[in-house]
Amino acid sequence: MTGFPTAFSEITLVLFTTLAPSGALAYVLANLPIAFGRATDEEREHLDRSSWLLLAVTMVGLVASATHLGNPSNALYVFTAVGKSPLSTEVFCAVVFLALAGVYWLYSFAERPRRRLQRAAVIATNAAALAFVAATAFAYNVGTVPTWSHPLVPISLFANALMGGPVLACLGFAAARFEPGRAPWGGRLLGLSAAALAANLAVYAVMAVQLAPVSNELASVPELVPNYAAFIAAFAVLAAAGLFVGFRGLRARGRSLVVRMACASALVLAGLFVMRFTFYMSHLTIGLGI
Amino acid sequence: MQHGFHFNGLRCTGCKTCMLACKDYHDLSPSISFRQVYEYVGGGWSVGADGLPAQDVFAYYVSSACNHCAHPICTQVCPTGAMGKDEDGIVTVDERRCIGCGYCALSCPYRAPKVDREAGHSVKCDGCVKRVREGKRPVCVEACPLRALDFGPVDELRRRYGEESDLLPLPDSSATSPSLVVTKPACVRADAERVAREGAVANVREIV
Repeated sequence: MTGFPTAFSEITLVLFTTLAPSGALAYVLANLPIAFGRATDEEREHLDRSSWLLLAVTMVGLVASATHLGNPSNALYVFTAVGKSPLSTEVFCAVVFLALAGVYWLYSFAERPRRRLQRAAVIATNAAALAFVAATAFAYNVGTVPTWSHPLVPISLFANALMGGPVLACLGFAAARFEPGRAPWGGRLLGLSAAALAANLAVYAVMAVQLAPVSNELASVPELVPNYAAFIAAFAVLAAAGLFVGFRGLRARGRSLVVRMACASALVLAGLFVMRFTFYMSHLTIGLGI
Repeated sequence: MQHGFHFNGLRCTGCKTCMLACKDYHDLSPSISFRQVYEYVGGGWSVGADGLPAQDVFAYYVSSACNHCAHPICTQVCPTGAMGKDEDGIVTVDERRCIGCGYCALSCPYRAPKVDREAGHSVKCDGCVKRVREGKRPVCVEACPLRALDFGPVDELRRRYGEESDLLPLPDSSATSPSLVVTKPACVRADAERVAREGAVANVREIV
Protein backbone atom coordinates (compact mmCIF):
# COMPACT_ATOMS: atom_id res chain seq x y z
CA MET A 1 0.00 0.00 0.00
CA THR A 2 1.43 3.38 -1.00
CA GLY A 3 0.07 6.90 -0.85
CA PHE A 4 0.24 7.22 -4.63
CA PRO A 5 -3.54 6.78 -5.18
CA THR A 6 -4.29 9.46 -2.57
CA ALA A 7 -1.86 11.92 -4.14
CA PHE A 8 -3.06 11.09 -7.63
CA SER A 9 -6.71 11.64 -6.64
CA GLU A 10 -5.70 15.03 -5.22
CA ILE A 11 -3.46 15.90 -8.19
CA THR A 12 -5.26 19.19 -8.77
CA LEU A 13 -4.49 20.24 -5.20
CA VAL A 14 -0.87 19.24 -5.77
CA LEU A 15 -0.87 21.58 -8.76
CA PHE A 16 -2.63 24.32 -6.82
CA THR A 17 -0.21 24.26 -3.89
CA THR A 18 2.71 24.16 -6.32
CA LEU A 19 1.66 27.13 -8.43
CA ALA A 20 -0.43 29.46 -6.30
CA PRO A 21 1.92 30.30 -3.38
CA SER A 22 4.88 30.84 -5.72
CA GLY A 23 2.74 32.84 -8.15
CA ALA A 24 1.41 35.06 -5.35
CA LEU A 25 4.86 35.70 -3.90
CA ALA A 26 6.22 36.41 -7.39
CA TYR A 27 3.46 38.98 -7.82
CA VAL A 28 4.53 40.64 -4.56
CA LEU A 29 8.20 40.70 -5.54
CA ALA A 30 7.52 41.93 -9.07
CA ASN A 31 5.48 44.83 -7.72
CA LEU A 32 7.97 45.93 -5.08
CA PRO A 33 9.47 48.65 -7.33
CA ILE A 34 5.97 50.17 -7.58
CA ALA A 35 5.17 49.67 -3.89
CA PHE A 36 8.38 51.44 -2.88
CA GLY A 37 7.92 54.17 -5.48
CA ARG A 38 11.14 53.23 -7.26
CA ALA A 39 9.66 52.56 -10.71
CA THR A 40 9.57 55.22 -13.40
CA ASP A 41 6.29 55.77 -15.25
CA GLU A 42 7.50 53.67 -18.16
CA GLU A 43 8.72 50.87 -15.90
CA ARG A 44 5.47 50.95 -13.96
CA GLU A 45 3.53 50.60 -17.19
CA HIS A 46 5.57 47.60 -18.27
CA LEU A 47 5.21 45.96 -14.86
CA ASP A 48 1.47 46.60 -14.71
CA ARG A 49 0.86 45.20 -18.20
CA SER A 50 2.90 42.05 -17.56
CA SER A 51 1.54 41.25 -14.11
CA TRP A 52 -1.14 39.13 -15.81
CA LEU A 53 1.51 36.44 -16.30
CA LEU A 54 2.07 35.97 -12.56
CA LEU A 55 -1.64 36.25 -11.87
CA ALA A 56 -2.25 33.62 -14.53
CA VAL A 57 0.12 31.21 -12.76
CA THR A 58 -1.83 31.73 -9.53
CA MET A 59 -5.17 31.49 -11.33
CA VAL A 60 -4.22 28.24 -13.06
CA GLY A 61 -3.51 26.80 -9.63
CA LEU A 62 -6.78 28.06 -8.21
CA VAL A 63 -8.83 26.85 -11.16
CA ALA A 64 -7.10 23.47 -10.97
CA SER A 65 -8.06 23.18 -7.31
CA ALA A 66 -11.69 23.95 -8.17
CA THR A 67 -11.83 21.07 -10.66
CA HIS A 68 -11.61 18.50 -7.87
CA LEU A 69 -14.82 19.77 -6.32
CA GLY A 70 -17.85 17.54 -6.66
CA ASN A 71 -20.33 20.41 -6.77
CA PRO A 72 -18.71 23.80 -7.50
CA SER A 73 -22.15 25.42 -7.78
CA ASN A 74 -22.30 25.49 -3.96
CA ALA A 75 -18.93 27.23 -3.74
CA LEU A 76 -20.35 30.52 -2.47
CA TYR A 77 -21.16 28.79 0.84
CA VAL A 78 -17.38 28.76 1.41
CA PHE A 79 -17.67 32.34 2.61
CA THR A 80 -19.95 31.30 5.49
CA ALA A 81 -17.14 29.52 7.34
CA VAL A 82 -14.29 32.03 7.03
CA GLY A 83 -12.25 31.96 10.22
CA LYS A 84 -13.78 28.63 11.30
CA SER A 85 -12.52 26.30 8.59
CA PRO A 86 -8.90 26.68 7.44
CA LEU A 87 -9.92 25.72 3.91
CA SER A 88 -12.61 28.38 3.84
CA THR A 89 -10.15 31.00 5.07
CA GLU A 90 -7.70 29.96 2.37
CA VAL A 91 -10.28 30.28 -0.41
CA PHE A 92 -11.44 33.65 0.97
CA CYS A 93 -7.87 34.98 1.00
CA ALA A 94 -7.33 33.73 -2.55
CA VAL A 95 -10.48 35.45 -3.79
CA VAL A 96 -9.59 38.74 -2.04
CA PHE A 97 -6.08 38.66 -3.51
CA LEU A 98 -7.21 37.88 -7.04
CA ALA A 99 -10.05 40.40 -6.89
CA LEU A 100 -7.72 43.19 -5.74
CA ALA A 101 -5.09 42.20 -8.28
CA GLY A 102 -7.67 42.08 -11.06
CA VAL A 103 -9.10 45.49 -10.22
CA TYR A 104 -5.59 46.95 -9.96
CA TRP A 105 -4.64 45.47 -13.32
CA LEU A 106 -7.75 46.91 -14.97
CA TYR A 107 -7.06 50.33 -13.41
CA SER A 108 -3.55 50.26 -14.86
CA PHE A 109 -5.15 50.76 -18.29
CA ALA A 110 -6.62 54.12 -17.22
CA GLU A 111 -5.40 56.96 -19.40
CA ARG A 112 -4.59 59.18 -16.42
CA PRO A 113 -4.21 56.90 -13.39
CA ARG A 114 -3.71 58.46 -9.98
CA ARG A 115 -0.29 57.36 -8.86
CA ARG A 116 -0.92 57.48 -5.13
CA LEU A 117 -4.07 55.44 -5.51
CA GLN A 118 -2.19 52.98 -7.69
CA ARG A 119 0.60 52.63 -5.16
CA ALA A 120 -1.85 52.15 -2.28
CA ALA A 121 -3.65 49.51 -4.34
CA VAL A 122 -0.39 47.65 -5.00
CA ILE A 123 0.47 47.65 -1.31
CA ALA A 124 -3.02 46.36 -0.41
CA THR A 125 -2.83 43.68 -3.11
CA ASN A 126 0.62 42.59 -1.96
CA ALA A 127 -0.64 42.31 1.63
CA ALA A 128 -3.56 40.18 0.40
CA ALA A 129 -1.13 37.98 -1.53
CA LEU A 130 0.98 37.39 1.57
CA ALA A 131 -2.16 36.63 3.61
CA PHE A 132 -3.16 34.10 0.94
CA VAL A 133 0.25 32.37 1.10
CA ALA A 134 -0.04 32.21 4.91
CA ALA A 135 -3.61 30.85 4.71
CA THR A 136 -2.47 28.16 2.27
CA ALA A 137 0.42 27.24 4.55
CA PHE A 138 -1.95 26.63 7.47
CA ALA A 139 -4.85 25.13 5.49
CA TYR A 140 -3.62 21.61 6.22
CA ASN A 141 -3.26 22.03 9.96
CA VAL A 142 -5.77 19.34 10.96
CA GLY A 143 -5.15 17.81 14.37
CA THR A 144 -6.24 14.31 13.34
CA VAL A 145 -3.74 14.18 10.46
CA PRO A 146 -0.29 13.96 12.11
CA THR A 147 1.63 14.16 8.85
CA TRP A 148 -0.11 17.41 7.90
CA SER A 149 -0.27 19.08 11.33
CA HIS A 150 3.50 18.73 11.74
CA PRO A 151 4.96 22.17 12.63
CA LEU A 152 7.32 22.08 9.64
CA VAL A 153 4.48 21.77 7.12
CA PRO A 154 3.62 25.51 7.03
CA ILE A 155 7.32 26.34 7.09
CA SER A 156 7.88 24.08 4.09
CA LEU A 157 5.12 25.84 2.18
CA PHE A 158 6.62 29.26 2.94
CA ALA A 159 10.03 27.92 1.85
CA ASN A 160 8.42 26.57 -1.34
CA ALA A 161 7.00 30.01 -2.14
CA LEU A 162 10.33 31.67 -1.37
CA MET A 163 12.02 29.32 -3.82
CA GLY A 164 9.51 29.48 -6.67
CA GLY A 165 8.43 33.11 -6.20
CA PRO A 166 11.73 34.87 -6.99
CA VAL A 167 12.34 32.80 -10.13
CA LEU A 168 8.82 33.51 -11.35
CA ALA A 169 9.32 37.19 -10.45
CA CYS A 170 12.40 37.23 -12.70
CA LEU A 171 10.20 35.80 -15.44
CA GLY A 172 7.69 38.59 -14.74
CA PHE A 173 10.44 41.22 -14.92
CA ALA A 174 11.74 39.74 -18.15
CA ALA A 175 8.24 39.76 -19.66
CA ALA A 176 7.94 43.41 -18.56
CA ARG A 177 11.14 44.20 -20.48
CA PHE A 178 12.98 44.74 -17.24
CA GLU A 179 16.32 43.04 -17.47
CA PRO A 180 16.95 41.58 -14.05
CA GLY A 181 20.61 40.88 -14.89
CA ARG A 182 21.27 44.61 -15.35
CA ALA A 183 20.24 45.42 -11.80
CA PRO A 184 21.77 44.01 -8.62
CA TRP A 185 18.39 42.74 -7.43
CA GLY A 186 18.22 40.27 -10.33
CA GLY A 187 21.05 38.24 -8.85
CA ARG A 188 19.70 38.82 -5.35
CA LEU A 189 16.31 37.41 -6.28
CA LEU A 190 17.84 34.21 -7.61
CA GLY A 191 20.15 34.19 -4.57
CA LEU A 192 17.04 34.27 -2.36
CA SER A 193 15.66 31.36 -4.34
CA ALA A 194 18.91 29.43 -3.89
CA ALA A 195 18.87 30.10 -0.14
CA ALA A 196 15.25 28.92 -0.05
CA LEU A 197 16.34 25.72 -1.85
CA ALA A 198 18.81 25.06 0.95
CA ALA A 199 16.10 25.80 3.54
CA ASN A 200 13.69 23.47 1.74
CA LEU A 201 16.24 20.66 1.72
CA ALA A 202 16.90 21.13 5.44
CA VAL A 203 13.16 21.14 6.22
CA TYR A 204 12.49 18.04 4.12
CA ALA A 205 15.43 16.19 5.64
CA VAL A 206 14.13 16.87 9.16
CA MET A 207 10.58 15.93 8.14
CA ALA A 208 11.83 12.68 6.58
CA VAL A 209 13.39 11.72 9.90
CA GLN A 210 10.55 12.90 12.12
CA LEU A 211 7.71 11.45 10.02
CA ALA A 212 9.37 8.05 9.47
CA PRO A 213 8.02 6.55 12.73
CA VAL A 214 4.50 7.96 12.18
CA SER A 215 1.88 5.33 11.46
CA ASN A 216 -1.73 4.45 12.11
CA GLU A 217 -3.51 1.09 12.25
CA LEU A 218 -3.48 0.67 8.47
CA ALA A 219 -0.18 2.12 7.20
CA SER A 220 3.05 3.88 8.08
CA VAL A 221 4.66 6.89 6.41
CA PRO A 222 7.53 4.80 4.95
CA GLU A 223 4.91 2.54 3.35
CA LEU A 224 2.91 5.47 2.00
CA VAL A 225 5.97 7.36 0.70
CA PRO A 226 8.55 4.75 -0.28
CA ASN A 227 11.95 6.14 -1.30
CA TYR A 228 11.31 9.53 0.27
CA ALA A 229 15.02 10.28 -0.13
CA ALA A 230 14.74 9.72 -3.88
CA PHE A 231 11.90 12.24 -4.07
CA ILE A 232 14.02 14.79 -2.18
CA ALA A 233 16.93 14.10 -4.54
CA ALA A 234 14.70 14.63 -7.59
CA PHE A 235 13.47 17.88 -6.07
CA ALA A 236 17.03 19.06 -5.44
CA VAL A 237 18.19 18.20 -8.97
CA LEU A 238 15.22 19.89 -10.68
CA ALA A 239 15.40 23.02 -8.50
CA ALA A 240 19.20 23.32 -8.83
CA ALA A 241 18.93 22.88 -12.61
CA GLY A 242 16.28 25.61 -12.71
CA LEU A 243 18.42 28.00 -10.70
CA PHE A 244 21.44 27.21 -12.88
CA VAL A 245 19.43 28.09 -15.99
CA GLY A 246 18.17 31.22 -14.22
CA PHE A 247 21.61 32.46 -13.18
CA ARG A 248 23.00 31.78 -16.65
CA GLY A 249 19.99 33.50 -18.22
CA LEU A 250 20.52 36.74 -16.31
CA ARG A 251 22.93 37.89 -18.99
CA ALA A 252 20.49 37.30 -21.83
CA ARG A 253 18.24 39.94 -23.36
CA GLY A 254 14.84 40.23 -25.00
CA ARG A 255 13.00 37.08 -25.95
CA SER A 256 15.98 34.89 -25.04
CA LEU A 257 15.79 36.23 -21.48
CA VAL A 258 12.06 35.43 -21.28
CA VAL A 259 12.58 31.91 -22.63
CA ARG A 260 15.44 31.19 -20.21
CA MET A 261 13.51 32.50 -17.23
CA ALA A 262 10.46 30.46 -18.31
CA CYS A 263 12.64 27.33 -18.44
CA ALA A 264 14.13 28.15 -15.05
CA SER A 265 10.64 28.64 -13.58
CA ALA A 266 9.34 25.40 -15.11
CA LEU A 267 12.22 23.39 -13.64
CA VAL A 268 11.90 24.92 -10.18
CA LEU A 269 8.13 24.43 -10.19
CA ALA A 270 8.58 20.82 -11.34
CA GLY A 271 10.80 20.27 -8.30
CA LEU A 272 8.16 21.78 -6.03
CA PHE A 273 5.49 19.62 -7.68
CA VAL A 274 7.44 16.48 -6.73
CA MET A 275 7.53 17.44 -3.06
CA ARG A 276 3.91 18.57 -2.99
CA PHE A 277 3.02 15.16 -4.44
CA THR A 278 4.84 13.43 -1.58
CA PHE A 279 2.95 15.66 0.86
CA TYR A 280 -0.36 14.21 -0.31
CA MET A 281 1.14 10.72 -0.46
CA SER A 282 1.99 11.02 3.22
CA HIS A 283 -1.62 11.61 4.26
CA LEU A 284 -2.84 9.49 7.16
CA THR A 285 -5.04 10.20 10.14
CA ILE A 286 -4.69 8.86 13.63
CA GLY A 287 -6.68 5.65 13.77
CA LEU A 288 -7.95 4.43 10.45
CA GLY A 289 -7.77 7.11 7.77
CA ILE A 290 -5.44 6.85 4.77
CA MET B 1 -29.96 14.56 23.15
CA GLN B 2 -26.77 12.99 21.79
CA HIS B 3 -27.32 9.60 20.15
CA GLY B 4 -24.66 6.99 19.50
CA PHE B 5 -23.79 3.34 18.93
CA HIS B 6 -22.84 0.49 21.22
CA PHE B 7 -20.55 -2.24 19.90
CA ASN B 8 -20.26 -5.54 21.73
CA GLY B 9 -16.85 -7.11 21.04
CA LEU B 10 -17.82 -10.22 22.99
CA ARG B 11 -20.53 -11.04 20.46
CA CYS B 12 -19.32 -9.87 17.05
CA THR B 13 -18.19 -12.70 14.75
CA GLY B 14 -17.15 -10.46 11.86
CA CYS B 15 -19.93 -11.73 9.57
CA LYS B 16 -20.32 -8.24 7.99
CA THR B 17 -24.11 -8.47 7.80
CA CYS B 18 -24.20 -4.94 9.29
CA MET B 19 -22.06 -3.66 6.38
CA LEU B 20 -24.16 -5.31 3.72
CA ALA B 21 -27.49 -4.33 5.26
CA CYS B 22 -26.26 -0.71 5.35
CA LYS B 23 -25.04 -0.81 1.75
CA ASP B 24 -28.33 -2.35 0.63
CA TYR B 25 -30.56 0.05 2.58
CA HIS B 26 -28.67 3.15 1.43
CA ASP B 27 -28.11 1.71 -2.08
CA LEU B 28 -24.37 2.36 -1.94
CA SER B 29 -21.95 1.68 -4.77
CA PRO B 30 -19.22 -0.97 -4.31
CA SER B 31 -16.64 1.75 -3.58
CA ILE B 32 -18.57 3.28 -0.70
CA SER B 33 -19.38 1.76 2.65
CA PHE B 34 -20.70 3.65 5.66
CA ARG B 35 -19.83 0.80 8.01
CA GLN B 36 -16.62 -1.23 8.09
CA VAL B 37 -15.68 -4.41 9.92
CA TYR B 38 -12.04 -4.56 10.98
CA GLU B 39 -10.36 -7.87 11.77
CA TYR B 40 -7.77 -7.26 14.49
CA VAL B 41 -5.32 -10.11 15.02
CA GLY B 42 -1.98 -10.99 16.57
CA GLY B 43 0.13 -13.84 17.85
CA GLY B 44 1.18 -16.91 15.91
CA TRP B 45 2.53 -20.44 15.97
CA SER B 46 5.69 -21.68 17.65
CA VAL B 47 7.30 -25.05 18.31
CA GLY B 48 8.00 -25.73 21.97
CA ALA B 49 10.96 -27.54 23.53
CA ASP B 50 8.94 -30.74 23.43
CA GLY B 51 8.66 -30.42 19.65
CA LEU B 52 4.95 -29.76 19.72
CA PRO B 53 3.49 -26.76 17.92
CA ALA B 54 1.53 -24.29 20.01
CA GLN B 55 -0.34 -21.11 19.17
CA ASP B 56 -1.02 -17.89 21.02
CA VAL B 57 -3.25 -16.29 18.42
CA PHE B 58 -5.84 -13.69 19.33
CA ALA B 59 -8.42 -12.20 17.00
CA TYR B 60 -11.50 -10.07 17.25
CA TYR B 61 -13.68 -7.92 15.03
CA VAL B 62 -14.73 -4.30 15.30
CA SER B 63 -17.75 -2.96 13.43
CA SER B 64 -17.42 0.80 13.05
CA ALA B 65 -19.33 3.56 11.29
CA CYS B 66 -19.59 7.27 11.99
CA ASN B 67 -19.53 7.70 15.75
CA HIS B 68 -21.32 11.07 15.66
CA CYS B 69 -18.56 12.53 17.81
CA ALA B 70 -19.17 15.19 20.43
CA HIS B 71 -16.28 17.12 18.87
CA PRO B 72 -16.32 15.99 15.23
CA ILE B 73 -13.32 17.05 13.18
CA CYS B 74 -15.38 16.85 9.97
CA THR B 75 -17.63 19.74 11.05
CA GLN B 76 -14.60 21.79 12.12
CA VAL B 77 -12.82 21.55 8.76
CA CYS B 78 -15.87 21.70 6.47
CA PRO B 79 -15.48 24.92 4.46
CA THR B 80 -19.17 25.41 3.73
CA GLY B 81 -20.86 24.39 6.97
CA ALA B 82 -22.46 21.47 5.11
CA MET B 83 -21.33 19.06 7.80
CA GLY B 84 -23.27 19.64 10.99
CA LYS B 85 -24.97 17.99 13.95
CA ASP B 86 -28.76 17.72 14.17
CA GLU B 87 -30.90 17.88 17.31
CA ASP B 88 -30.14 14.21 18.05
CA GLY B 89 -26.39 14.82 17.83
CA ILE B 90 -26.22 12.97 14.51
CA VAL B 91 -23.56 14.30 12.15
CA THR B 92 -25.21 14.85 8.77
CA VAL B 93 -24.31 16.29 5.38
CA ASP B 94 -26.40 19.12 3.95
CA GLU B 95 -26.23 18.17 0.28
CA ARG B 96 -27.42 21.64 -0.73
CA ARG B 97 -24.29 23.21 0.77
CA CYS B 98 -21.63 20.52 0.24
CA ILE B 99 -19.06 21.20 -2.51
CA GLY B 100 -17.57 17.72 -2.42
CA CYS B 101 -14.07 18.93 -1.55
CA GLY B 102 -13.40 15.81 0.53
CA TYR B 103 -11.78 17.58 3.45
CA CYS B 104 -14.12 15.78 5.86
CA ALA B 105 -13.08 12.40 4.43
CA LEU B 106 -9.39 13.30 4.68
CA SER B 107 -9.74 14.42 8.31
CA CYS B 108 -11.96 11.77 9.90
CA PRO B 109 -9.95 9.22 11.94
CA TYR B 110 -12.84 6.71 11.61
CA ARG B 111 -12.90 7.10 7.78
CA ALA B 112 -16.62 7.74 8.06
CA PRO B 113 -17.45 10.39 5.43
CA LYS B 114 -16.89 9.47 1.79
CA VAL B 115 -17.12 11.62 -1.32
CA ASP B 116 -19.65 10.26 -3.77
CA ARG B 117 -18.11 11.49 -7.03
CA GLU B 118 -21.26 10.72 -9.03
CA ALA B 119 -23.51 12.65 -6.66
CA GLY B 120 -20.90 15.41 -6.21
CA HIS B 121 -21.07 15.59 -2.43
CA SER B 122 -20.01 13.83 0.75
CA VAL B 123 -22.07 10.94 2.06
CA LYS B 124 -22.01 9.21 5.41
CA CYS B 125 -23.91 7.30 8.08
CA ASP B 126 -26.87 9.36 9.26
CA GLY B 127 -27.90 6.90 11.94
CA CYS B 128 -30.76 5.83 9.62
CA VAL B 129 -32.53 8.95 10.81
CA LYS B 130 -35.74 8.18 8.88
CA ARG B 131 -36.04 4.73 10.46
CA VAL B 132 -35.27 6.10 13.92
CA ARG B 133 -37.99 8.75 13.56
CA GLU B 134 -40.41 5.95 12.70
CA GLY B 135 -39.52 4.29 15.98
CA LYS B 136 -37.23 1.70 14.38
CA ARG B 137 -33.52 1.16 14.93
CA PRO B 138 -30.74 1.75 12.34
CA VAL B 139 -30.63 -1.02 9.77
CA CYS B 140 -27.17 -2.23 10.85
CA VAL B 141 -28.41 -2.69 14.41
CA GLU B 142 -31.55 -4.44 13.20
CA ALA B 143 -29.61 -6.74 10.87
CA CYS B 144 -26.90 -7.94 13.26
CA PRO B 145 -27.61 -11.66 13.86
CA LEU B 146 -25.57 -11.64 17.09
CA ARG B 147 -27.18 -8.47 18.47
CA ALA B 148 -23.69 -6.99 18.79
CA LEU B 149 -24.85 -3.47 17.90
CA ASP B 150 -27.18 -1.09 19.65
CA PHE B 151 -28.20 2.52 19.09
CA GLY B 152 -29.82 5.16 21.22
CA PRO B 153 -29.19 8.12 23.50
CA VAL B 154 -25.52 7.77 24.43
CA ASP B 155 -26.15 8.48 28.13
CA GLU B 156 -28.58 5.58 28.19
CA LEU B 157 -26.09 3.34 26.37
CA ARG B 158 -23.41 4.27 28.91
CA ARG B 159 -25.72 3.43 31.81
CA ARG B 160 -26.54 0.09 30.22
CA TYR B 161 -23.14 -0.98 28.85
CA GLY B 162 -20.50 1.07 30.68
CA GLU B 163 -18.25 4.01 29.91
CA GLU B 164 -15.65 2.34 27.66
CA SER B 165 -15.16 3.86 24.20
CA ASP B 166 -11.58 2.87 23.33
CA LEU B 167 -10.89 -0.28 21.39
CA LEU B 168 -8.13 -0.86 18.85
CA PRO B 169 -7.92 -0.28 15.90
CA LEU B 170 -10.20 2.69 16.57
CA PRO B 171 -8.39 5.96 17.33
CA ASP B 172 -8.04 7.18 20.90
CA SER B 173 -11.38 8.63 21.99
CA SER B 174 -9.71 11.80 23.32
CA ALA B 175 -9.27 13.02 19.72
CA THR B 176 -12.92 13.57 18.81
CA SER B 177 -15.02 12.28 21.76
CA PRO B 178 -17.00 9.65 19.81
CA SER B 179 -20.56 8.88 20.87
CA LEU B 180 -19.63 5.24 21.14
CA VAL B 181 -19.74 2.64 23.89
CA VAL B 182 -17.78 -0.57 23.49
CA THR B 183 -17.84 -3.88 25.30
CA LYS B 184 -14.31 -5.17 24.96
CA PRO B 185 -13.53 -8.62 23.53
CA ALA B 186 -12.21 -11.32 25.85
CA CYS B 187 -8.62 -11.14 24.61
CA VAL B 188 -8.47 -7.40 25.30
CA ARG B 189 -9.85 -7.92 28.78
CA ALA B 190 -7.25 -10.63 29.38
CA ASP B 191 -4.18 -8.73 28.16
CA ALA B 192 -4.79 -5.29 26.67
CA GLU B 193 -1.08 -4.45 26.57
CA ARG B 194 -0.24 -7.48 24.45
CA VAL B 195 -3.09 -6.73 22.05
CA ALA B 196 -1.84 -3.15 21.68
CA ARG B 197 1.73 -4.34 21.16
CA GLU B 198 1.12 -7.19 18.70
CA GLY B 199 -2.26 -6.50 17.12
CA ALA B 200 -2.75 -5.36 13.53
CA VAL B 201 -5.61 -5.00 11.07
CA ALA B 202 -5.56 -8.17 8.97
CA ASN B 203 -8.15 -7.29 6.33
CA VAL B 204 -6.70 -4.01 5.03
CA ARG B 205 -7.49 -4.92 1.41
CA GLU B 206 -11.18 -5.33 2.23
CA ILE B 207 -11.53 -1.82 3.61
CA VAL B 208 -13.27 0.72 1.34
